Amino acid sequence: MSKKSRKLINAASASPAVPVTEPEPVAEPPREFYFVPDTEPVEVDEKELHDQIKLWRHGRATRTLWEVIQDGYVAVFSVIVLGAMLGNVLVQAQSGAASCTTDECSLARLMMPTAMVLASLTLTLAVARLFGPILASAAEGFWLMDAPLRRRRLLRGRLLLPVVIAGVVAAAVTALVAALSGMDPISVALWTAAAGIGSSALMALAGAEQGIERTTGVRSMLWLFGLATLVVLLVVVSVAAGWIPVALGSSVEAARWIVAAVLVLSVVGLVIWLGLALRRLEQIRRARLLSGGSLVAGMQGAMFALDFGLIRDILVEREAAARGHVRPVRGRGLGIWALVWRDLQRLARFPKPWIGLAVSLVVPYAADALRMSQLNPLVSGLALFIALVPFLGSLRVLTRTGGMARSLPFKTTSIRTAAMVVPAGLALIWAVLVTPAFIGIAQTGADRVLTDGLMAALVTGIAGLFGAVRWVTAKRPDFGVPMMATPGGAMPPTLVFNLFRGIDVVAVVTAPLILGAPASWSLGIAAVIFVLLRGTFNMDELKAEQESLQRQRSDTREKIKVTRPAR
Amino acid sequence: MAKRTSVLQVTGLKKAFGPVVIVDGFNLEIRAGEAIALTGRNGAGKSTVLRCVVGAERPDEGTVTVNGVPVSETNPVVRREVATVIDDLDFFPDLSVVEHLDLLARAHGLPDAEAAVDEVLHEVQLVPQSGQLPATLSSGQRRRLALATAFVRPRSLLILDEPEQRLDTEGVQWLAERLRAERARGLAILMASHEPALVQAVATREVRLAGAELVTAAADDEE
Repeated sequence: MSKKSRKLINAASASPAVPVTEPEPVAEPPREFYFVPDTEPVEVDEKELHDQIKLWRHGRATRTLWEVIQDGYVAVFSVIVLGAMLGNVLVQAQSGAASCTTDECSLARLMMPTAMVLASLTLTLAVARLFGPILASAAEGFWLMDAPLRRRRLLRGRLLLPVVIAGVVAAAVTALVAALSGMDPISVALWTAAAGIGSSALMALAGAEQGIERTTGVRSMLWLFGLATLVVLLVVVSVAAGWIPVALGSSVEAARWIVAAVLVLSVVGLVIWLGLALRRLEQIRRARLLSGGSLVAGMQGAMFALDFGLIRDILVEREAAARGHVRPVRGRGLGIWALVWRDLQRLARFPKPWIGLAVSLVVPYAADALRMSQLNPLVSGLALFIALVPFLGSLRVLTRTGGMARSLPFKTTSIRTAAMVVPAGLALIWAVLVTPAFIGIAQTGADRVLTDGLMAALVTGIAGLFGAVRWVTAKRPDFGVPMMATPGGAMPPTLVFNLFRGIDVVAVVTAPLILGAPASWSLGIAAVIFVLLRGTFNMDELKAEQESLQRQRSDTREKIKVTRPAR
Repeated sequence: MAKRTSVLQVTGLKKAFGPVVIVDGFNLEIRAGEAIALTGRNGAGKSTVLRCVVGAERPDEGTVTVNGVPVSETNPVVRREVATVIDDLDFFPDLSVVEHLDLLARAHGLPDAEAAVDEVLHEVQLVPQSGQLPATLSSGQRRRLALATAFVRPRSLLILDEPEQRLDTEGVQWLAERLRAERARGLAILMASHEPALVQAVATREVRLAGAELVTAAADDEE
C-alpha cells in the first residue's frame, strides 16, 4: 500500500462517524382482499339467465318497434306496392303459363321449381357450413360459455332458429317460383314442402355435424345438390333448344311421386338429425361457436356500410386461414410479368372459382332458350361479372389500401392493367364458348349471323369483366364527406352508389346491344370505361400532380425574384 | 470528406385533419447514410409525417422530394427508390410468405431473385413459415414479413413506422443491427419509434415531435 493511500485511510478512520439513523418501517396501508365464500353456488337456470340478457338488451333500445315502422314509412309503403305488383305478376304468369300447352312449356313448368328446390338445398348447406350453423357472439362466448352452464339449454334456441329460418325462406322462394311457372296448387304445395322441410333437415344435419366437428356429410351433400341443380338447369336449356326430344307422357305424375318421396325422407331426416344435433349441443366447443359469431359480426359491420367488397374480403381471409398452407411455387418473369404469372398460378391453386365460371357459361344458353334473347347480354353480363370477381383477387389487394402497390415499381395504370390480363383472357374464352347462344340456339331465340353473334358475345364478356373490375376496385365509403339526407338517415353518397357498383357498367356497355344499336357502340363505350377503370384519369392523382406543379412553380418564382437595391 | 447526397427533402410540411393541425412547418433533410428517428408521444404526428413522405397522405402545404423527384404515391420513380413499412401494407391472401418476397424481387427486376429471397427469408427467420398463407401468421411473423418485403428489393430510402412493434426482444436486436448495416451501406432511413434502445442504436439524429410543433432536432450521433 502506498504512503498516500495509508494516509487517506487513517484520515478517514479518524474523522467522526456519520450518524446513521435506522430506517423506520413504512406503515403499509391495510389491504383487503375479497374471496368468493366457500359456500355451494346456487344452480342457475339457463332460461332465466337468457331472459335476463334479453331484458338488458331491450333496456338499451331507444325506440319501440312501432316508432321504427313509423320512421320507415317509405319502406312499408314500398313493400305494399311491391307486394301488389308481385301479386299481379303471379296472376298474369299463371294465366300465361296455362295458355302454353306445349311439351316444352310443361317441362319448364316442372323443372324450374325442381331446380329451385335443389338450389335452396344447396344454398342452405353452403350457408350452414359458412356460419356454423350454431353460433354465439364473442361476448356470449366470454361471459356465458366460461360459466358452468348446461350448453344444451343455452344453445337450443340457437339451433332451432336457423333450422326454422332455412325452412321458411326455402319454402317461400320455391312457392313463388312454382306459382310463377304455372303449377297446379297441389304440386305447388308439394314442391314447397319438400324445399322447406328438406332445407330444415339439412340445417339440422349441419348442426349435428358441428357438435362433433365434422363436415363430411355437409360437404358431400353440398356437391351432390349443387351438381343436381346444374344438371336440371342444363336439361331445361337443352329441351328448350330442341337438343333433347321431349316425351313427357306420365313424367309429371312420376315427378310428383319422387318429390313426395323426398318430402317423406326430409321429414325422417329432420327428426333424426335434429335429435342428434340437440343431444350434441352439450359437447359443442366454444371456438366452433365463436368463429361463426365473429364472422356474422364482421359481415354485419360491412353490411351497415354496404361495403360488399369487405364482406368478400372477410370470407376470402377466412378461407385462407382454413387452408393455412400451400406448396410454394417460384415465380417466373421479371417486372410487370411477374404479377401476371402469379395470377396464372392462382388459377390452378384455387380451383373453386372455376365452378362459378362454368355455371355462368350456362346462363346465355338458358336465357336464349327461355326467350330472353333481347336481355341476354345484360343477364349474361351480370352472371359473368359475378363469376369473374374471385379471379380479380390481386387487383383487389393492389387497390384496397395502396400499401402493396407502393412496393411495386410501376405506374398505377400498369399495375391495374397487369392485374386484368388473366381475367380478360378468361372473359375472352368465355365469349367464344357462349357465341352460339348469341347466334341463337332455340327457334324462338336470337337470330344473328356468326360475326354479329361473336361481337355480341364479346361485348357481353367485356361488360362482365369491366363490371367485376369496377366492383373489385371499390373504395370504402368515406364518412368524412358531406352526407346525403335519406329516409334511413344521413349517409355518404358513395354508400348509395355501392349498391349499383359494377351493375352500372354492365348495363351501360350492353345497353346499345339491347336497344338494337350496332355492337361497335358498345365497344366504344367499353373503351372509355377501360380508360377510366385503369386509373388513367385518377382524380386524386391528377390533383396531387397539379398541386405539386403549382408549388414547384411558386418556389421557382420566389427564387428568381430580384429585389431592387434601395436608393 | 465529400458531402453526402441529399436523399429526402421535406420543406414546410403542413397537414391538418379538419380543424386539428397535426404538423405545421416541418422541415427535414436526410442524406445518404443518415438515419433519422421521429419520436414523440402518441398522436404527436409521427405517422402522419411518414404517410405524407411516402405519398399516402397529401400534405396541405409544403413539398417532399426523394432524390429531387416530387413525391406522389403513384410515381414509379419514388416507388422504386423508397421501401416502406407502414401500417397499411396489405398481403395477398392466396400467396405464401416466400411467394410474396419472390413477387417483389422479380417485380423490381432482380436477376437472381431466388437467392435474394432465400437470404432475406433466413434473416427474418421465416423459413419454417415459407409456405404459410399470411392469414395464419402470428402478428410478430406478419411484422417480420413486412420488414422482409422492404429488404428484398432495391432501395435508397427506407421508411419505417414503429418497426419494432410486435417483435420479440431478439427481433428488435436483429432489426437494430440490420438498420445499422443499411446505414453503413449508404442508405437513408427515416423511422418513427417508441423504442429508445432502437433509436439509440440506429439513429444519427432524433427529431422529437409534439403535436404541431417540433421540439428538438438533436444531432447526437457518434459519427
